[in-house]
Amino acid sequence: MHLTRLDFFLWAFTFVEDFVLLAVLWRFKRAARFPVFTGLIAFDIVQTIAGYLIQHFGSSLTYFYAYWSFGLLDVVLQLGVAYELCACVFRPLGPWAPDVKRSFAFLIAISLFVASVLTWLASPPTRYVRSAIVIRGDFFASALMSELFVAMIVLSVTMGLPWRTHVAQLTQGFGAYSIFGIIVDAAHTYFGTVGPAYARISHIRISLYCVCLAYWILAMIQDEPEPRMPDSLRAELLALQKRIAMVLRGFRELREGQCSNFLL
Amino acid sequence: MQQLPFVIAVSTFLVVLVTAAVYFLARARRSAGTTWMALMARLRQIDRDNFATVALDLLDERDAESQLDPDSIFEMIGGMDGLDAVEQNCDVLIDMATYVQHWYPEALEIAEELRLNSREIKWHIGRLRGASHTGHMYEQFPVYAQRAVATYYLMTRSLLVLYEGGQVPGFAELQRAL
Repeated sequence: MHLTRLDFFLWAFTFVEDFVLLAVLWRFKRAARFPVFTGLIAFDIVQTIAGYLIQHFGSSLTYFYAYWSFGLLDVVLQLGVAYELCACVFRPLGPWAPDVKRSFAFLIAISLFVASVLTWLASPPTRYVRSAIVIRGDFFASALMSELFVAMIVLSVTMGLPWRTHVAQLTQGFGAYSIFGIIVDAAHTYFGTVGPAYARISHIRISLYCVCLAYWILAMIQDEPEPRMPDSLRAELLALQKRIAMVLRGFRELREGQCSNFLL
Repeated sequence: MQQLPFVIAVSTFLVVLVTAAVYFLARARRSAGTTWMALMARLRQIDRDNFATVALDLLDERDAESQLDPDSIFEMIGGMDGLDAVEQNCDVLIDMATYVQHWYPEALEIAEELRLNSREIKWHIGRLRGASHTGHMYEQFPVYAQRAVATYYLMTRSLLVLYEGGQVPGFAELQRAL
């Protein structure tokens, strides 16, 4: 595979930005709050180094297997990030609310189905099975991720769950990148891997990723609004909420009793 | 031509996805920019004294059974119309707790608690709607309606404590309305 100067430049630039973002996540203590996202950025750094070395010293077959393995791990980590962000938005008190859990499971099932159908429709014009697998795999991952991020937005607005600053900024970046990723991967599927179109589309995609990384670096440096609620108010609200929870538990027990009576 | 179904499917998919994202983000932005007056205007009028009496009849810690008979409960709540108002007001209460996050970001927890309480109320009201279809409305109404009203009453207390303790503007109006 022949790589141009622009390829090397984008490769190096992504590497530097990944490294800066990792340092920011560590330095500003965001890593503990977003461990999977931090893992994804660390993985990207390892992937860039390993990809460069394999491309230089390995065969094209080794590069293919490395690319595919890294790609799979990357998708798994991205799904992990989606879960991490969902957990921040949909369970602000710890456990998942039953209504949110059900709706989200339903949306995941729909997203998997739609992404599978779209991938099945794709027929990339390539001579090699390996290339077809990579293109279809990339397309499936982009479709799934973009659906998940849009589903997150829809569900949180419908349920009336507000977004905290860092979570919103991470999701905006991932959402924009994933939606653009579908266009890029659809173009790859349409044009195949041969010709100048493939390279141009890839450059646009990597450039967009660089923009996202820059946005996340700036976002993670800034602090979220500090809690300002007085301790006395917090204690009073806590006591009131405990009482409400107790009363509701009583109601629920009655409700379950009545449900079982109906069943009998 | 071989790629045509794929291109059409992907284009449709993209249009749907981007439209949904833009629509819901705009809705979230509109909701974040809601003014206090707009929130108050959404609150439906209920007879707060009657509602408090019905709620406290269930919440007061005593051994005796409910002192209100089913007909009184139905009349004091205002029947299903009153419960419809409660159901709509629940959403407003959640938005009001979210509104407090301008001053106290950690009010998110209260908003989430209210959202869960609101689910309980909607469950009770849903049971009543089901009972009205099967002709069991009369027996079921006092049981589910009183629980829904009691939960709503507790939600309003939480919100008032939050507004009063946090010295959030609009507390006096809210107290009058709830």
